[in-house]
Amino acid sequence: MKKIYGILSIFIVVCVLTAMMSPSFATPFNIERLILRTSLYGIISIGVAFVIITSGIDLSIGSVICLIGCGLPWLLIKMSLPLPVGLLIVILASVVIGLLHGLLVTKLRLQPFVVTLCGLLMYRGITRGFTGDQTQGFGKLFEGLRWIGTGRIAVPGVPLETFGLPVPFFLLLFVTIVASIFLNRTIYGRYLLALGRNEQAARYSGINTDLMIILAYVICAGLAGVGGVLFILDTNSAQPADFGNFYELYAIAAAVLGGCSLRGGQGTIIGVVIGAALMQVLRNMITLVDWIPTHIEYAVIGAVILVGVMADEVVKRVAAARRAKVSKS
Amino acid sequence: MENHGLFGLDWIVYLWRLFHLGIDLIKYQDENMKKFAVLSAVFAVLCLGITGCGPADQSGGGDGAGEKKPLFAFVTNMPASFWVIAQKGVEKAAADLNVDYKVDMPTGGSVGQKRVLEDHLARGVNGIAVSVIDPANQLDILNQVASRSILITHDADAPDSDRKVYIGMDNYIAGRMCGKLVKEALPNGGKVMIYVGRIEQDNGRRRRQGVIDELLDRTEDAMRFDPPEASLSGNGYEILGTLTDQGDPVRAKANAEDTLTRHPDINCMVGLFAYNPPAIVEALAQAGKLNEVKVVAFDEDDISLQGIVDGTIHGTVVQNPYMYGYKSIEVLNAIYKGDTSVIPESKFIDIPARSIRKDNVQEFWDDLKTKTMEPESSEG
Repeated sequence: MKKIYGILSIFIVVCVLTAMMSPSFATPFNIERLILRTSLYGIISIGVAFVIITSGIDLSIGSVICLIGCGLPWLLIKMSLPLPVGLLIVILASVVIGLLHGLLVTKLRLQPFVVTLCGLLMYRGITRGFTGDQTQGFGKLFEGLRWIGTGRIAVPGVPLETFGLPVPFFLLLFVTIVASIFLNRTIYGRYLLALGRNEQAARYSGINTDLMIILAYVICAGLAGVGGVLFILDTNSAQPADFGNFYELYAIAAAVLGGCSLRGGQGTIIGVVIGAALMQVLRNMITLVDWIPTHIEYAVIGAVILVGVMADEVVKRVAAARRAKVSKS
Repeated sequence: MENHGLFGLDWIVYLWRLFHLGIDLIKYQDENMKKFAVLSAVFAVLCLGITGCGPADQSGGGDGAGEKKPLFAFVTNMPASFWVIAQKGVEKAAADLNVDYKVDMPTGGSVGQKRVLEDHLARGVNGIAVSVIDPANQLDILNQVASRSILITHDADAPDSDRKVYIGMDNYIAGRMCGKLVKEALPNGGKVMIYVGRIEQDNGRRRRQGVIDELLDRTEDAMRFDPPEASLSGNGYEILGTLTDQGDPVRAKANAEDTLTRHPDINCMVGLFAYNPPAIVEALAQAGKLNEVKVVAFDEDDISLQGIVDGTIHGTVVQNPYMYGYKSIEVLNAIYKGDTSVIPESKFIDIPARSIRKDNVQEFWDDLKTKTMEPESSEG
């Protein structure tokens, strides 16, 4: 709980400020859309958090989203494969990508930055290749499948026209709970945190660190694949050349905001989700508030993240100093 | 002009207290659980207080300032100088009709556009004019806009959506006009390469097909589609292919450079999005091939117009983005007020394209300058 104080207070302050500046912010429709976007970005951010905890990095997330997001409609519409086969192929593809990253990082001892940077270039290139750079989408087909991305579930007492919880939100909830339990309540989660702090020490104490690292990359690529599916189901239109562009940076920023140290060994899943939500509220704010010109979007996001990370660091030091004082006296 | 009620002093004091409470929270979290719990509760109540009062305070201030003007959003497909001219038209129309406007140039393709459209719906705009990126697959979001607000399309249409009207030109016809300019530049035929931002975007596709069909003297058929890598020839012209850059001017220039390397004998380069011709001219200048390779442009980027004046570009086909912007707001406002007579039977308001060559470039440019300067001076 303590670890997410910084990010939670920044999140609240940003929400409050936005609500003050724009009466449209706290409307049911806007909140619903924000929950949807947070769910999509939250899922991929949780994925990268696992890799960051092992002190690795995954830069290929955006391209994996592109590959899976464009690949699914391509398989189903262009190749006319049956739905289960299409889904199986994209799930397998993302798991294999994760496996590949993990093996290259652990067995060949390549640097994660390099491995996943090459992935970033390759998967987008492959996608542009097999789609012929053509826009992919389901058109009016696969309404049932698209419900997973676009469906809304009524909250008791509120009419569905006003507000409904997006289906991806429940996926995020599920992923968050499972990931939290895995990281904090299972031995394997503790292994991950331990090897992130000091891989050698972890290995000497008998942990199969290679296996754990490979697992982290598989989780990351797998969740990126899930994200890719959700993004395409939601948007229904993907241009291979820019679908998912920069999403890895959004995911990494969310993970760092949420308390993951890029040096590894630290992180909370809830914090990462709040970090992802913060990113979406910031973008939302820029459109909703009149006097913020929309083209400075990235400058605002960058500045708030920087302030957030700085504030977090200050808060941590103040708290540490207080603790030291208390324990002395 | 706008109302920033929130910057009143009391808010700052309020936030300051909130901030201190937050600091206290951190102090007490380890030392005294009881104090911590109480403070947390106060903190939460204060935060809720702000969310509760904030909007009310803002809209109250807005109401006091005068009657509420309708608000219309003008959404483009990407950021571009072309849209800056359209923005001037939007500004002028908004001033003439006394309405509020917001111009948005989203990045990130259809995902970014969807996000921006949703945000505009959330803020309750009275109408949205949008340049559609992917007409086949964006129907959901477009129809959502149409059901919650007034939807019109400009520049690039989505005929299957519930949009009220499309304001723009026939890009296929404009493409054929561009093809005629190529024929003028190369009367004896030659090798031609086409550059365009996105071929999957309706306007890009039709424009390009128009150029190809005109060069090959085909019949008019806007629905025809030649794949981008196809090398087509006929009528003395050889179309080497079509290179896309997804709206990235840096890549547009790289595409032009790569062509010069791969096809040193190229005769004419055709740039179909506003930033393509400047990228081509720059690549030619750096390769020392200006005037050697003919250039045919599209749209009215300053560099393209200067190129026509200098003779490095043969000519350009211009749309009228200023009128796209102006007309969009005018039509949205009319529909908003219940006047549907502005919608023609065809649901297509034509803002025709024109060919600009050396003989009429100066006149066109001067007119463009006065139009784009005007709202700035009157804004004051």
